[in-house]
This record gives sequence, structure tokens and C-alpha cells, in this order.
Amino acid sequence: MGPYDYGISAGSSSSSSSSCAGGKPTELDGLLAGAGYKVRSSDLHQVAQRLEKLETFMVNAPTEISQLASEAVHYNPSDLASWVDSMLSEINQPFPVSSSDLSDFSDFHYMDDLVTPPLQHEVLTDAWADQSAQQQQPQPPLQQQQLTVVAAIEEDSGIKLVHLLLTCAESIQRGDLALAGTLLEKMRALLSRVNTGCGIGKVAGYFIDALSRRLFSPQAVCAGSVLENEILYHHFYEACPYLKFAHFTANQAILEAFDGHDCVHVVDFNLMHGLQWPALIQALALRPGGPPLLRLTGIGPPSPDGRDSLREIGLKLAELARSVNVRFAFRGVAASRLDDVKPWMLQVGPREAVAINSIMQLHKLLGPDPNRGSPIDSVLGWVRSLNPKIITVVEQEANHNQPEFLDRFTEALYYYSTMFDSLESCTLQPEKAVAEMYIQREICNVVSCEGSARVERHEPLAKWRARLGGAGFRPLHLGSNAFKQASMLLTLFSAEGYCVEENQGCLTLGWHSRPLIAASAWQAVPLPDTNSLPTINDCVL
Amino acid sequence: MVVPLNTWILISNFKVAYNLLRRPDGTFNRHLAEFLDRKVPANTTPVDGVFSFDVIVDRATSLLSRIYRPAPADEAQPGGIMELERPLSTEVVPVIIFFHGGSFAHSSSNSAIYDTLCRRLVNMCNAVVVSVNYRRAPENRYPCAYEDGWAALKWVNSRQWLQSGKDSKVHIYLAGDSSGGNIVHHVALKAVESDIQVKGNILLNAMFGGKERTESEKRLDGKYFVTIQDRDWYWRAFLPEGTDRDHPACNPFGPSGKSLKGVKFPKSLVVVAGLDLVQDWQLAYVEGLKKAGQDVKLIYLEQATIGFYLLPNNNHFYTVMEEIKHFVNSNC
Repeated sequence: MGPYDYGISAGSSSSSSSSCAGGKPTELDGLLAGAGYKVRSSDLHQVAQRLEKLETFMVNAPTEISQLASEAVHYNPSDLASWVDSMLSEINQPFPVSSSDLSDFSDFHYMDDLVTPPLQHEVLTDAWADQSAQQQQPQPPLQQQQLTVVAAIEEDSGIKLVHLLLTCAESIQRGDLALAGTLLEKMRALLSRVNTGCGIGKVAGYFIDALSRRLFSPQAVCAGSVLENEILYHHFYEACPYLKFAHFTANQAILEAFDGHDCVHVVDFNLMHGLQWPALIQALALRPGGPPLLRLTGIGPPSPDGRDSLREIGLKLAELARSVNVRFAFRGVAASRLDDVKPWMLQVGPREAVAINSIMQLHKLLGPDPNRGSPIDSVLGWVRSLNPKIITVVEQEANHNQPEFLDRFTEALYYYSTMFDSLESCTLQPEKAVAEMYIQREICNVVSCEGSARVERHEPLAKWRARLGGAGFRPLHLGSNAFKQASMLLTLFSAEGYCVEENQGCLTLGWHSRPLIAASAWQAVPLPDTNSLPTINDCVL
Repeated sequence: MVVPLNTWILISNFKVAYNLLRRPDGTFNRHLAEFLDRKVPANTTPVDGVFSFDVIVDRATSLLSRIYRPAPADEAQPGGIMELERPLSTEVVPVIIFFHGGSFAHSSSNSAIYDTLCRRLVNMCNAVVVSVNYRRAPENRYPCAYEDGWAALKWVNSRQWLQSGKDSKVHIYLAGDSSGGNIVHHVALKAVESDIQVKGNILLNAMFGGKERTESEKRLDGKYFVTIQDRDWYWRAFLPEGTDRDHPACNPFGPSGKSLKGVKFPKSLVVVAGLDLVQDWQLAYVEGLKKAGQDVKLIYLEQATIGFYLLPNNNHFYTVMEEIKHFVNSNC
């Protein structure tokens, strides 16, 4: 997750110079990539010309700028060429721009086909001579992989604790369980001297417990009952903005995708209390031109006590929908695992616009299961077959599914420390305390479980992009309007520290510049029309 | 007067985007600014020998800074567990407190262009870099940015793990570009009255100004990415309402400024780009320091535009990096 994680195609030729005539057409300019902009080397000239056009327009028609600024919706600023083009297309151009205008405006030009500038050889170190190092760092071999620690801790005991935690995790990975046990004792002793009410002490306690579980009672289950989970979830929802951000952003994207459709169908991969849906129902009610017919299919685990909790939620939502005059139908699908769901259960109609909504569910399908093939592939397969208008995906922005235990542990320590830190700002009780239990459950699963029991297999945005792209989906970019609304949502929270960021068409919410949750939207790449393929009868034999 | 193609695109893009963000009524479209800004997270995994992490310098103002350190060459422990706050080596390691540019209104420590620049500084100067995420205008006017700079300076000075092994002191240099350069001067000024020693100031295309319209401003207005009009907008956004550009924050040696004669001010390295319309003010700054008997080295790059240091694709970049390296590594 470094600054060079832009998936730049390999090749050193384009990296140090601006536009090499010999570079492959798909190569990105390495230096612009380091600045966060993906521009193909072969497009540099065109982008420059269009920027110039845009600039000239701005100089000649300054009052139009405010319109462009306030009304235009911007998407994926990393794709500079598209961004400039979208701005140009927004402009109504009364002033024809000829090349003579440009030269009058400025005697300032860019250099064509810059070759590598004469470098002062003494100054260059190896780090800079090879600009190709600015592409994604390849995974180093395991034994050299540097392992890192979370820090910014004031007290020495805190630092010691972190040190011990990592050493303990490392010894577990090596199989030295005796040492691990000793370290656990040391840590518990140290914990008594540290403030466990907040900061590192609090989060360390949970990690010590999780390590303990892993060592001594790995069969012990981390998850609670369905009812317990719902309660924890609800408190987490109230205590901090992560779930609200997820719902809010997904709803905005779904609303836009449903524009112009009269029959819409939302499939929620994890209904819970249906907290996401009142806002969408209300937004649809207020839609210019009137609301569509809304069907909601909520998937959730079966209730153990015979209650049909899915149906209960559905009834409540139906009541709300009725009160705002939205024609609404609900269906519950009880399934303990998403890959138990078959598409026919969702009863998607032929003319419906379908939205698939997955809030922190996809990562659960990444676990190994010898009996079930690949759950993620089968689910993504049937999702695609439904040809949805939009798939909204929200996932924890963390690398908790790395193959080596120590890597996962270290990442989790960093991730959950940040999350706990953000929770400090919450003053609502008992929401805060119960929200901590919610997070603690996740920590427990990441650290102490393995195999099919380990369901919290979070992967970062870059990996989901690759996975979804490979499964036949293309991104639907979330724009500046969604960003603005998400940012404004955050101002409702007194804590200054939450931040929304735009990441190549996706939005992330984080705490103090560390993204913790990522929202993205997708659409199925259209399948080739099988009717147009020649059949045997068409061929002349 | 030419600039590499990708540099031109980078800076033109900023210019175009920034035009959308500055509203005529003096307000700023912060949401759109944050949306458009390309950001990168901190990364404790070394990339090209540098790793970074964010720290909270002041919880009250949510003041963050991003620390950049050279990755240790040795594998200190089995498994290579690295401490973020591991004490520096036994020699002298310069700590550069960096203030990013953006005319007081734009950018952040985690802006990609500045994250990249700081990483380069670490490698080229063998230094630790602390990039301060100061509060920006127009939401936070003078003196917020200076106060944040001062808070960061105090914080850095009091970190035991930033002390150089040789003398158990933190060897502090202040550096900044554009508005960051301006902040450098004012934080150094504040430090003079304290017992915190700043070993040197580095100003890259520093943002200064004044009521008067200088020759360079008139000559270069609109020619190389920058206009007098946008400079005026940013000063109006930063300076206290009702004041003008002769306010000492903007014009430290102007009619409202005071002389630094006899003041124990750090040595300064001032870099001026010959195609920057603000250069007359920067040169006046240099003159002001000289007249006060202060140690100042001017590097005037005739053919350079603003932002030349953002991409390592021109000679000016390497010239300046070399100068900075010597500036922070000369043990005087």
C-alpha cells in the first residue's frame, strides 16, 4: 500500500523522460504517476494541448469558471486525460481556439520529445538513476521482507508492549510456542502497568487475548450468536461513521444508477436491521418524476429461534415505504453463507434494474474450502449473470489476508489501533463500549482463527480492483458529489480526524490520513451477444 | 524558455484545477480541492530505502505530521522488526522540518507531490524529514500556519529519538516551498526568542509579497502559470481581514517589517526561480537578510519556473538538491 502502488506497467524507458518516442503506447509516464496522475506517455501531447485549450477558455471567459466549478461533477482525477476532456465537454465554447491564440497568450511552451536531460552523474545515487524503481515494489522474498511496527507511542511501556506483541507473533509463526507462551505472560504483566483504558493499552489487551486464544484454545469460536452479532453491529453503526459512510456512499451510487428506471430491485448481501434502506427509500420518494417500484431482497442468516427476523425488518421497511408513497416489495432469503444462495432465489425480473449491495461481505468468501470450489468465484459468477446495473462494494481497507501470520498480525495491529484511536472520540455510551466488542470480535477472528473459521479475510482496494476486474466487472466511478456528501456527513461528528479521500474512482474513509474502509461501485462488462455468433446452420459447408 | 512536457502538464493541471477552487468572493471550494488532490498514505514498508508514518503533534488542533526516515541498512533483529521511533545513529543526522507549498490554501502532507519530494529529500540529504500538515487558509488565516509550524518545531526538538548520537541534540533545519518557505522564515523568527536552535533555513520559491507591484510581477504576470491576480487572492485569504500585503507576514522587510540586525537568525539558503513572478520579493528578502548581517546564500536559477523541484527531470532539480545536501550536512 505504498505511494508507488499505481500498477504502472513495467519498463524504464518512459519513467525518467517525459515522452520517449520508443516507449510502448500503454506505458504510463512514471514521473506523473509518482505525482498521482496516470497518463500514458503516448497521450502526453494530447493532454497538454487540451489543458492549454482549457486554460485559454478560462482566461477568456472567467465567469464561466464558477459554473464549471459549482455544477460539474468530477470523476477519478487520477485519469488526467479523461478529467480534462470532461471539463472541455462541459464548456460551451463561444470562442474558437486557434493555435495563433495560444501563442499570443503565452510565449511559454513545453518541450517536445524531451530526451533524458543531461544528468549530473556525481549527484545521482542508485536510488534515482533507476527511475523504474518507481513502479510497484515487487514482493520481496520472505526472508528479507521487512516487518514493521505501529508506533507514535509516548510511554516506554507502550513501546515495549508492541515489541513483545510482534516478537510473540513472530515466534508463533516460527512454531516456537514455548517462547510465545512466555512472552504472553510477560505481556500480561506489562499490561497491568499500562493504562488499558485507552490508546495502546486497550488495543494491546485485545491482541494479547487473541494470541492467547490462538495458542491455547484455537477451537474456541470467536463469533457470537446471530442476535449478539446484530446488537454489536448496531452499536458499531452508532458509535462511529464507518458503516454510515458505507451506506451513504452506496445509496448515492445506487440512486444514480437507478435514474430513469421504473422497476428497481436491490439485493442486500447482509440485511442486518436494514439500516441502509430507509434513506434510499426516502431518496427514491423524492426523485423528480416520482419513485420507481422498489423491490428489496435481503439476505441474512436464518434466525435460530424460529423468528423470521428478515420478514420483520421487511415489514418495517414496507411501512416506511408506504408512508412516503413508494411502491415496495420485500423478500427475505435466509442463508448462512452467501455461496449457499442461488440466483433463482432472488427472483430477479427481466425488466428490473438490479443493484447488488455488499457491505463487508465479499471478503468472507475468500476462505479456503475444499468442498466448495471457490466461493468468491461462484458468487461473482452469478452476480454477473444477473447483469446488475450496479454493484456497490464496501470493504475494510486492510491487508488481513496475507499468507504469513506475522504479516497479517502486524497489519491488524496497525489497522485496529487506528480504528480504536478513532473510537476514542466517541462519547456515546453504551454504544462505544459495545462497538469495541464488535471490533474485538474481528481482531479475534483475524488473529486466532485459521482455515474456514477465519472469515475476516480483508483485502485492500487494489486487490479487489484486480479481482473484480478479472471477474468481468468494470468500475463505476464515484464522483465529487458523493465525495462532498460523504465529507459533509463527517462534519456531523465532532471528531476532527476522520477523512474521506478519493482513490481513482473509489472513496475511502479513514482516520488521520489512514484509510480504513473503501467504497467502490461496479458494473458487469457486457457479455458478448451469443445470438450474433454464427451457428452451424449459418455456415456454408 | 522551455519546460519538460510532463512538468508542464503537472503544473498546468494544478493551475486549471486551482482556478476552479478559488471563488471570487474569497471563499474556497475545499471539498472539491480535497477530491482533486492526489494523496498517498504513509508506508512503514521501505520503498527506495525510505519509510514513513504519521504522528499527531497536537491533538487540540489535529495537527499531524508525516515522518520520513531512511530504512536501516542492517537487519537489526531476526525477522527484521523495525521500530518507527528507533533512535538515530551515533553520528549527526539532520532533521528537516518541511512545510509544503500551496499558497497557504492548497495541498497537504499526504499530497502525492509532496510525499514524493520528501522521500527524495531523505535519500539525497541523508536526513529525517518531518512534513507538517499545517492548517490552511482561508478557513484558518494568519497566524495558524505559523503556530502549527512552531508546535511542530517544539515537538521535533523534544523527541529524544530524533537526537543525533554525537551530541544528544536534534539537528533541526527548516525547509519549505512557496507558502512553506514563508512559514520557514516566520517559525525561525519565533524560535529566535526561545532556546530552540534552528541550524538553517531553506526557502524554495518562497511566497512573499507587498503592496507595490514590482517589475518582475508586471513582466511575468500570466506568463508562467502564475498571475498577480491569483497571488492577490491567496494573500487576501491568508492575511488578517482588513490588512494589506505590507503586513509583515507577507512582507517581512517592508514598511511594517523589522530589521534582523543583531538577531541570532539561522543561516539561509534561498532558491529563486528566474521565471517566478514573485522573484523581486524573494530577492528583496535576501537583501533584507544581508543588510542585517545574516548568513544567506542565494541560488538564482534563471530558466527555472515554479515547481521545478517537483519532478527530477531537469538540471535545476539536481543543482538544488545538491545545495540542500551540503547545506544540511556541513557541520558548522
